[in-house]
Amino acid sequence: MVICIPRFNVYIPKDVSDALNALSQRKDLIPMGGGSDLLVLIRNGIVKADTVLDLWPLRKELAYIKREDGTVRIGALTTVSELCESDLIKDVRYAGLADVCKKFSTPFIRNIATVGGNVGAAHPLSDIALMLLVLNGKVKLLSKNGEREVNIAKFFKGKRRTVRNHDEIIAEVSFTETPHNSSTAFIKFDRRWGHAMGYVLVGAYMQLRDNIIEDVRIAFDSTGNPYPERVWTTEEFLKGKEFSDELIKQALNNVLPKEMKRITDYRASAEYRLDLSKVLLRRALLKIKSRIEGGG
Amino acid sequence: MSELPEYVRIVEEIFDKYKDKEFLYVGKRIQRWDAIEKIKGRVLFTADFAKYYRNAVFVYSVRTKYAHAKIKSIDISEAQRYPGVLRVITAKDIPGVNDVGYVIPDQPLLVSDKARYIGDIVALIVAEDPNVAKEAGELIKVDYEKLPVITDPLQVIDLRTLKEKEHPLIHEERGSDVVAHFKIRKGDVRKAFDEADVVVEGEYSTPFQEHAYMEPEAAIALPEADGGVTIIATTQCPFDVRKAVAKVLGVTQNKVRVIVPAVGGGFGGKEDVANELGAKAALAALMTGRPAVVIHSREESMIGHSKRHPMKAWYRHAAKRDGTLLGVEANIVFDTGAYASLGPFVAWRATVHATGPYRVEAARVDTLSVYTNNVYAGAFRGFGCPQVTFAIESQMDALAEKLGMDPVDLRLKNILREGDRTVHGQLLTRDHGVGLEEAILKAVEASRWHEKRKLFSKQVGTLRKGIGIALLWHGNSIGVEGADYSSATLIINRDGSITFRVGLIDMGQGSQWGMVLIASEILGVPPSYFRVEQPDTAATPDSGPTVASRSTVMGGAAVVNAAYKLRQRLNKVASTLLGCDPDDVEIRAPDVYCRSNPEKKVSWSDVVEQSFWLGIPLQEFGYFRAPPAEWDEETGQGAPYITYTFGAIIAEVTVDLETGGVKVDRMVTAYDIGKVINRVGAELHAEGGAIQGLGYALMEEVVHNKDAYVMNANLSTYYIPTIHDVPDEIIPIFVEAKYRRGPFGAKGLGEPSINGIAPAIVNAVSHATGLRFHSIPLTPEKVYMALKKAGKTLF
Amino acid sequence: MSVIPREEWDKYPDIEITLNVNGKDYKVKVKPYERLLDVLRYKLGFTGVKEGCGRGECGACVVLMDGKLVPSCLVLAVRANGSKVLTVEGLAPEGKLHAIQKALLDTYAVQCGFCFPGVILAIKALLDRNPNPTDEEIKDALSGQLCRCGSYLRFIKAVKLAAQYIREGKEYFDESGARG
Repeated sequence: MVICIPRFNVYIPKDVSDALNALSQRKDLIPMGGGSDLLVLIRNGIVKADTVLDLWPLRKELAYIKREDGTVRIGALTTVSELCESDLIKDVRYAGLADVCKKFSTPFIRNIATVGGNVGAAHPLSDIALMLLVLNGKVKLLSKNGEREVNIAKFFKGKRRTVRNHDEIIAEVSFTETPHNSSTAFIKFDRRWGHAMGYVLVGAYMQLRDNIIEDVRIAFDSTGNPYPERVWTTEEFLKGKEFSDELIKQALNNVLPKEMKRITDYRASAEYRLDLSKVLLRRALLKIKSRIEGGG
Repeated sequence: MSELPEYVRIVEEIFDKYKDKEFLYVGKRIQRWDAIEKIKGRVLFTADFAKYYRNAVFVYSVRTKYAHAKIKSIDISEAQRYPGVLRVITAKDIPGVNDVGYVIPDQPLLVSDKARYIGDIVALIVAEDPNVAKEAGELIKVDYEKLPVITDPLQVIDLRTLKEKEHPLIHEERGSDVVAHFKIRKGDVRKAFDEADVVVEGEYSTPFQEHAYMEPEAAIALPEADGGVTIIATTQCPFDVRKAVAKVLGVTQNKVRVIVPAVGGGFGGKEDVANELGAKAALAALMTGRPAVVIHSREESMIGHSKRHPMKAWYRHAAKRDGTLLGVEANIVFDTGAYASLGPFVAWRATVHATGPYRVEAARVDTLSVYTNNVYAGAFRGFGCPQVTFAIESQMDALAEKLGMDPVDLRLKNILREGDRTVHGQLLTRDHGVGLEEAILKAVEASRWHEKRKLFSKQVGTLRKGIGIALLWHGNSIGVEGADYSSATLIINRDGSITFRVGLIDMGQGSQWGMVLIASEILGVPPSYFRVEQPDTAATPDSGPTVASRSTVMGGAAVVNAAYKLRQRLNKVASTLLGCDPDDVEIRAPDVYCRSNPEKKVSWSDVVEQSFWLGIPLQEFGYFRAPPAEWDEETGQGAPYITYTFGAIIAEVTVDLETGGVKVDRMVTAYDIGKVINRVGAELHAEGGAIQGLGYALMEEVVHNKDAYVMNANLSTYYIPTIHDVPDEIIPIFVEAKYRRGPFGAKGLGEPSINGIAPAIVNAVSHATGLRFHSIPLTPEKVYMALKKAGKTLF
Repeated sequence: MSVIPREEWDKYPDIEITLNVNGKDYKVKVKPYERLLDVLRYKLGFTGVKEGCGRGECGACVVLMDGKLVPSCLVLAVRANGSKVLTVEGLAPEGKLHAIQKALLDTYAVQCGFCFPGVILAIKALLDRNPNPTDEEIKDALSGQLCRCGSYLRFIKAVKLAAQYIREGKEYFDESGARG
């Protein structure tokens, strides 16, 4: 009764095919996963919604975490909590996802926010999207006409813009299981510890053999564009070399700044964000090393 | 000296009588009256009442597009035609005076010719469905002529010369955008600086702080048959709302009734904004003849009510080699935003406290409050003191560093003690109670200051600990803001239960409970016999506003008067039943007996029943008024407050040198509050003030962009501390240097509990890093950049 | 002028949903854009559910929906169709206090009380899956519950005390016995 939200209708689909049919026929439908992002955007008038397509009923089909044939598949309507309560994040290789679980918004938002919604939000502060980047994840899009898979590194087009077509829904994200000599880490830092947006978010994946960096993938909330991206040059620089503090310092001081352009806004300056990116990346890599070596 | 009024004599008599007595209720931990109802979810806050009104209309405020603009015309025709809209209200529909300004009449309820900040309201839309109202709001057509926007008070005033600069006037009707100017002129300042061994100088800045009470503002108005209106509102000042609404409606005050149910936090923020909400609801109710509901969304709340004034200050301290303060100079500028609100009073209180709780023989202080196009600033816990305390206590540490003295020793050398005069020349007699030294010593001991100060000076590595101190003081009463009076009603009912009424509201702080404990103590009746009736201008007496930490002291003194008189009468009745002298009567409800013969008892209900048969009135109205403040406008000399609360805060922090992040590990807060009345309330104030102060120190800041839009008008971008951000431990210590004219010696704590927190934390960060900081919130970036500049980053 | 034309309402037709709130079944007509929060507060009268921000940022409006802690301001009423909702009003039977409520009283945590319904349900959600939480787990579980009065340190103590009560088999207490 008492709150001023612009009015809208809701389409409640019976199942996935009903949702896809509706999307293919109606231009006015805006798909909604958990709603924790979209409903606030509608409230603020940032998104003008005529009719919201509620994807929640699709959880019957699209909420799952499967590990089969060397691939991890997460249904798009899996909530962040379900991901965080799964055995997957207890695997030391995916400890970075456990880091996300500690810092992803708040417990009650995690109960409604979905994995697909976080990826689809295409926001610099999409924690899960950032981790999928370092896990080399894929996004599965479904439409009435079939399905396609897009590498997450090619999924974002701009802030709140993705390659998803109007008639598609995000159905699943997936990634190939990583080797046992690998692990991940995620760090978000802000002036508030609880429920923080993050001045800087960093996610990293590293594979170490005899202290040699066999493989490494690093993503930040932003490297210039308003969505999470990987720092390919820094990764290349590190790859194949022996892990040492000196090497990391070289990467941070000589390589990273060349491929990262930070912005100044009311929350922090570009200079601070860049320096903080270095500090947090070093910490993330040290954390991964210790995780691989069994230090937790 | 003229004879003291009876109400003062009674407070003093009770003080003397109880000075060395063991208390039954006062100072004990006793569960507040509404705890169970709150915890069960049964207590109704203002917005909750909307569930009872099926026929209600909703009022939506259409706010200006530009922070500073001339309004050439407002076209409501399309909005008025929108299906579901019942009424559109603009300035010309206001029957009375279109003003809700608090100290000066500078704030229209609805703007018609000029917008001065983004919260200004151009029209109200009344509809059954709030969503319809919101949609119709888009159809209000306003023809604006944009004006240059001022967001920095230093565009209005020069900090060094204090001269008003050329600038587009925000309040051209006043001819100047300087709202107020207060001064202290004491001793020979030039001589003090000429003769000083050391001088420290610094510029300081503090941010806009948002109250962020969990309950957003709300008001519900019900039309009355005689053209009057009843308003349920979330406010700290029901009588001010009544006055403001009567003015807007053009009716007498007795036609407006204001009821205040449970309030979900106030901290000073629910003072004048409630006038606006009450008036909006009242207009809609009277124009539609239906109950009208106004509930601010969080975003509206953030831009639509007063904030803590940001301060820019320049300070200079002179001292002798041994640390003795010789003189203080300060230029202080407060940004009051688009409207004065309580700004002039805030600036005055800041001026009074501008040299800290120290003996200062020579001082020059100038405090100016100026308009900008920012969200207006007004009352917020501390009321000008947190700002100046940050500057003063930073200066004291800078001075200690320059002198090579321990910060505690430097302070002990200069603090106010009994028999000293304040910078205003006010003599602090024994009756005032000056427990600052005791507070410092206790805080030092509890925090293991000396040991840690040494230990933390020898650290290496990324994480560095630091420990810092800050002192504070806080004048009790409202000083020269007006006559400070209060009143309370106690009614003993025929069954022995007691009705308690006071016009001071409870916004969570529990002060009404403190007043009940005072009555319990004097009457000898357990608190469970009392029912606290919520403030209602139709039933509770005008007790003044719930501000300035005055509830326990001023309201409590009124309760002392009421309870004292009832007790006298009850003693007389009991003495006739028991056959002893009235002074011999002891009430320990349910028992009443004579101390000389405790075996012989009558019951409390017998005494009450007997009083009724004898026609002895068992209801009493208590009144108290603080002695008028003295203040010379030109010199700042006089006696600005009735007495002072003192305190010492010690904070322990860990600083991450790589990120600049600061974590507060532990805090000790030692306050001299005269006498602890409501122990739970006092402890919660100490903790809550510390946490809110931590937010002020490290994270909170309302940010305006260059167009004076608020960048962080919600709770995910305006950061307040979460449970993860609080210290592991907050140790509250209370010193009881009694004030003879407070109830049982009590002084206020609500506001002072935030005054010293930020400087203590910042001084601790300075200790950890070896660097001084001049601006809060002390964000990781500020710490990091300072470290980087000093070449102290590890990485 | 005061009547809203039928066609205007038909743009957003009512949808009938069923809800079980605190053990009782309800049939309610709701608008598609209506939030669970509004239905609970204004249609069913459960004003123990508070609105602090309407954006899922403060935790005042959380309820347990099918056992999960959710912000009722970000759950559309139609989505709650068929679900079981627990609000603070349903935590303990009439005249009783739940162990969590008793523990919050015992630690003297109550101030303005506006955040309490949310805090209490967040604690319930925590203790339902973790009967013996550490300080860090408590902070994580309550990290979305903003309290401006600053009772946080008492919340931590209260959760531990409540956990102890429950472990000792004392889930409910008499309300009258808890009065001061």
